[in-house]
Amino acid sequence: MKKLKQFIHSGTMVTLVWVLGIAAVWEGFAFYVAQTKRTPLNVLPHLWQIIGSFFSDKMITGQMTMMQLIGTSCGETLSRAAVGFLIGTVLGFLLALLMHLSGIVEKIAFPYLMIIQMIPILGMAPIILAITGDINTSRIVIAAILTFYPVSTNTLAGFKAVEKEKHELMYSYAASKFQHYIKTIIPSSIPYFFTGLKISAPMAITASILVDTLQGGNGLGCMLSQSLKGGMSRLVFWDIVLISAVIGILSFYLMGLLEKLVCPYKRKS
Amino acid sequence: MKHTRKSAFAVVAAVLALAQLTACGTAESSSTPTSSSADTGSSAASSASSEEIIKEAAAAGKIGNWGLGNEYEIQALLTKYGLPTDYITQDFTMDQFDTDAVTLASAMTYNELGLVVNSYDGGYSYGDSVATIDMNDEGVAMLEDNLFCSKAFAQSNPNTVKAFVSASMKGWYYACEHPDEAAQIVFEAGSSVSADHQAYMAKEVAKLVTTDMNGNSVSADKVGEMQDDAMQQTLDLAKKYILLEDASAKDKLQAMTLDDIRSKDYLTYDKEKDGAVEKSAVSVPLKWLPQAQFMGYYVAKAKGYYDEVGLDVTIVSGGGDISETTAVYNGTVDFGVTWVSNLINANAGGMDLLEVAQVYQRSGLVLVYKKK
Amino acid sequence: MKQVKRLMRTAPNVLLPLGAAVLLFVLWQTQVLHKLLGTDTITLPLPTRIGEIISQNTSAISQHIEITLTVALGGLLLGSLLGYGIAVIATVFPKWGAGGLTIVSAFNAIPIVALAPVINNWTRDFSSEVSARSTLAKILVVTIFCTASMSVNAFRGLTELKPFSEDLMKTYAARRTTVFAKLRLPNSVPYIFTALKVSVPASVIGALVSEYFAEDTVGVGRQIRENIVKGQYPTAWAYIAVACLIGIAMYAILMIAEHFLLKRRKG
Repeated sequence: MKKLKQFIHSGTMVTLVWVLGIAAVWEGFAFYVAQTKRTPLNVLPHLWQIIGSFFSDKMITGQMTMMQLIGTSCGETLSRAAVGFLIGTVLGFLLALLMHLSGIVEKIAFPYLMIIQMIPILGMAPIILAITGDINTSRIVIAAILTFYPVSTNTLAGFKAVEKEKHELMYSYAASKFQHYIKTIIPSSIPYFFTGLKISAPMAITASILVDTLQGGNGLGCMLSQSLKGGMSRLVFWDIVLISAVIGILSFYLMGLLEKLVCPYKRKS
Repeated sequence: MKHTRKSAFAVVAAVLALAQLTACGTAESSSTPTSSSADTGSSAASSASSEEIIKEAAAAGKIGNWGLGNEYEIQALLTKYGLPTDYITQDFTMDQFDTDAVTLASAMTYNELGLVVNSYDGGYSYGDSVATIDMNDEGVAMLEDNLFCSKAFAQSNPNTVKAFVSASMKGWYYACEHPDEAAQIVFEAGSSVSADHQAYMAKEVAKLVTTDMNGNSVSADKVGEMQDDAMQQTLDLAKKYILLEDASAKDKLQAMTLDDIRSKDYLTYDKEKDGAVEKSAVSVPLKWLPQAQFMGYYVAKAKGYYDEVGLDVTIVSGGGDISETTAVYNGTVDFGVTWVSNLINANAGGMDLLEVAQVYQRSGLVLVYKKK
Repeated sequence: MKQVKRLMRTAPNVLLPLGAAVLLFVLWQTQVLHKLLGTDTITLPLPTRIGEIISQNTSAISQHIEITLTVALGGLLLGSLLGYGIAVIATVFPKWGAGGLTIVSAFNAIPIVALAPVINNWTRDFSSEVSARSTLAKILVVTIFCTASMSVNAFRGLTELKPFSEDLMKTYAARRTTVFAKLRLPNSVPYIFTALKVSVPASVIGALVSEYFAEDTVGVGRQIRENIVKGQYPTAWAYIAVACLIGIAMYAILMIAEHFLLKRRKG
């Protein structure tokens, strides 16, 4: 009984209720669509249709069932997203550090950091393809470019948000610049850094799916656009939308988990 | 004042169109669109009524096309009937047609039309309640799927180009003779398009390869050849309807002749006389997803035609925004499949590309509408 | 004298990026950049050629800019309001709100752009006028693009108060609304700007990308795609340059707004 009470008041319960609520709203619309539209599958299918198709053993392509198809596509896209995200994160952090160390670098780099984000991927893609000569490498590079901006800006904001008192304390210890960064500036910027990560981890996945569509091949984005282009069940599209949402949420949680591991003291109160 | 006159005209046009439609609807109900779609002469709408259908849809602003270089034939058709060349962008689904957001929708005979008509996975099950207007009948057809490479590549690897073209055309010939087997080969090569749709597509594509714009059949030894009058019609329409904002590209387009875009020197390959290929590992990106639209290449690969001439061919899936012209131009791939108009457009922009074979001899584009 | 001093202090802020821009321009125009990147003047046209195309097509380009700006600003406004609203709700009902916040962040993980064709299906009943329903669909995409960063950041701003400040308010026996208006709201302002720094560029990109899939063939993004797919790189780059300028202009306005608002706070 007590355990049940505990469960009801736990965070898991809250999330569960939210998910169920959203599912209920979705189904409400889906029933409405099913009543009013000629091809409801193209507007909003039932959730059970989507989930059912995932576990169906019907062949979607020459060799694969839905689960196999999505599994392999997921593997391709996620590995590219992970590499891109890692590169983007490291670069973003280093750039933030560099900008904080040197005002000149910040003044030069910051506007361009923003401008790079402004260049639509499509404009960059052919150039990046020409440089790398390989579409999959280009996809990783583009995912990295798209992810590092939130990491960079948030981390820089974290560096700057260190309280004056801490600076003064370090100064009174006659700490070296290196010590200063290691002991105060970097640790206190970590929450900000993770805010950046929480935004950019799902973004890396979204970006990977998006750049998949630039050319054919394997990957969630490729399958997604193929499903829309016809000749393949539209449920492939819906399955991928749902799966990518789930992966995105997981990546967000993963970052939260990492944050707790890295700085457990942060959220005690 | 001008406005009222315009809308009065629209009303008259609509009434006329409706009268026409009811008349033709009863007469046409016996023919099935699947068979009428690509057979010349028996297209669902006769020329007089298609004009009314087009005018009605144009007045309502419900003519659709994908844009992105696929719109020139539609614009030529609209111009033919004295209409403005505006259209709604179709996404690559046929949802807009399904929901009547677009009433006269662009469709390829071998792909979208099959989805509209048939009821397999991804299909919309309209059966024979839809009819089509064929670009070939309307005299505004432009040539579509070809085979091309860069001029520089053709100059430095003439034997590779010859070998690739001749083996590919052999594959195309076989595929057109045996569309069911070709469809199966493509499906097994890992295409994600369903087997049913693949089989439909193979049959329709075979018609485009073996029939020319005037409805005459093309003999087997002529598969891949370029017919000058059809090429010239394509170039002339391209010059009129490719609108460029770049002044120097515009000049280049207007000055373009057939010799700037195609060469007939690479159609045959004789290993004894020409010598071995210069480059044996080559890649060809498709214009779209792996499907029977490109069955000739899959067949040539599966039947070992490429091996016979000493080529190791990689077929790369297309259908993304990095177009095949760009990929061939920047050298990440060797050959490409594209529409002639896209190649003309790319060459106007400064890419030096060369068509080496013309696979489809007539336009596969139709406008599809629901019969009333 | 004071003005000269201030000018001296702010001059590097402008001169340094400007200098870098000039350097980049020179490298680009002299094709050194092309050698470095291993590309050519068709894939990456020279700045003078891009400028030429822009100057030859000003009226067409300005029409496309207007359409793109409407979408970007509309979506940014709606998304930010929605995001802030969610953050407020999460602050008032922390237990249920935090879960909602997570869900909103998860929305970021859905490839919204891939949803664009379906969003087109959703908005189809809105109007028979293509431009109206197409604009709505595009704004919806940008709205979802901009919501998450605002809600996450604003929530931080509304809840991460200086430890003593909330206690102080308690000792005043301040009402919750007072705490909200006098403490939480002002505290969240810098965080709003952090969020906007992410969502302003995102709104422009979102607008451009949503145009790729829209039913209406207008807007800067649509022109970029048309020209890239058709192999017209110089024209595509002209529109890319315009897109960058839109983003830079919006970002500059944001920076100026931040400067004045936060300065007033300090004073």
